[in-house]
Amino acid sequence: MSRSSRSLVAVGVLSLFGAWSDQARAVGVAAGTDIDSTAQVTYSVGAVNASSTSNTTSVKVAEVLDVVVTLQTASVPVVPGATQQELVYRVTNTGNGPEAFLLQVISTLGGDDFDPTQASPSIYFDTDNSGDLTGGDVPYSPGNNDPVLAADAFVTLLVVNDIPAGVTDGNRGFSRLTATARTGSGAPGTSFAGQGAAGTVAVVGTTGGDGEATGQYLVASIALNAVKSQAVVDQFGGARPIPGARIDYTIVVSATGSGTAATSVFSDAIPANTTYVPGTLQLNSVALSDAADADAGDFSTVPTARVRVQLGDLTQASGSQTIQFAVTIN
Amino acid sequence: MIQGTVKFIAAAVIACALQAPAFAQGNCVELKTTGEVEKEVVNDKGEKTRTLVAAADAKVIPGTEVIWTVTAKNTCKEPSDKVVITNPVPEHMTLVPGSVFGAGAEVTYSVDGKTFAPAGKLTVTENGVARPARAEEYRQIRWAFTNPIPAGSSAFGRFRATLN
Repeated sequence: MSRSSRSLVAVGVLSLFGAWSDQARAVGVAAGTDIDSTAQVTYSVGAVNASSTSNTTSVKVAEVLDVVVTLQTASVPVVPGATQQELVYRVTNTGNGPEAFLLQVISTLGGDDFDPTQASPSIYFDTDNSGDLTGGDVPYSPGNNDPVLAADAFVTLLVVNDIPAGVTDGNRGFSRLTATARTGSGAPGTSFAGQGAAGTVAVVGTTGGDGEATGQYLVASIALNAVKSQAVVDQFGGARPIPGARIDYTIVVSATGSGTAATSVFSDAIPANTTYVPGTLQLNSVALSDAADADAGDFSTVPTARVRVQLGDLTQASGSQTIQFAVTIN
Repeated sequence: MIQGTVKFIAAAVIACALQAPAFAQGNCVELKTTGEVEKEVVNDKGEKTRTLVAAADAKVIPGTEVIWTVTAKNTCKEPSDKVVITNPVPEHMTLVPGSVFGAGAEVTYSVDGKTFAPAGKLTVTENGVARPARAEEYRQIRWAFTNPIPAGSSAFGRFRATLN
């Protein structure tokens, strides 16, 4: 249930941005390659057979200027006032020759609820390929360290913004990364004589020689609340907490706010001087086995006695989750 | 002894006499290839028309279609018979299906450069199973002209190929 609702969310984001793709493909033969054609002929004159070879016609492959920017993080959950929040992008040279690219960030876009504030610097190379901004990541400086990518090569970049303090739950803020071929961009077919690889002409490809992708920050402050109640049943038909009496615990977990509490886990220690009653663990009135196995719950005595239930991804719409288990008083 | 020497010379002269004309005939058919690209231009009336420009002067990029023409001209005073032109599809290029043209010639193809057969008659073996070869897999084109090329005349074959 939670899995299928999560896929729906993912699909929604995909159609919103339309720029998510696993692998951008570069086109064909490398710029500067010579394409040669030579033919042969055989014939006879009178009774004599002969043959000859044609001239070789040679064509040099021109350079195509193409680039694709793809977003690697669908939507980044943030809290108001958060700093140094990163969006992960990939810039792929889909042309057929080595090319340098100019990178730019725009965070003042329409269609969202707030404008993220560009950090300074606002673009980093993901030097250590961690997908996160870390100390070793090199900041991008336009004109000084423009990424030079071979045909088909890509570079991973982190776009860093701060989140204004005044934003509220469910607000979205867009930030866009643009990459432009240094040799030139414009209408497909525009050419730059002698500026391609190996002195060939450079031709703007179908992408226009530039590419962009827009990421989003989503303000999400979800809180999980747990309310625990108990009922005591003693072995004499009463409700006195005496040795041998049984305590039935009921815990109701609910999520409030926006966003998703991912892979939520409920864990509760068995109280001192009590013993867990095997086989009493339930989630929403469905029994869970005590073993750590395919179902969501398990009981363990290591390192201390506790019950645990995997609740998965919880949102406000998930509704309350009811966990039950029982102990006896030693 | 003397007689023997004379015979030897005579034999050498005869050999020369036979070879000389054959050597000359080796240059009878002059073969020329050209590569061209179709370019859209706007004429004086503002209409879009297509013209051919030499591929070497065009912007040839992956996906560009090049029209290759191979022309055989008979430069001798006698007709050249059994004229067969073979042209490989250039490396890094793929033959455009149905684009091969050759008036008065029987056209055959080859996948491996050894076996030539008409379109649709070639097979390739894939994972141990033979299947018909696709036009994109043809690597050689052969034009076998049915009639002799008269003195001073030309014949040509043409195909289109796309840059990979």
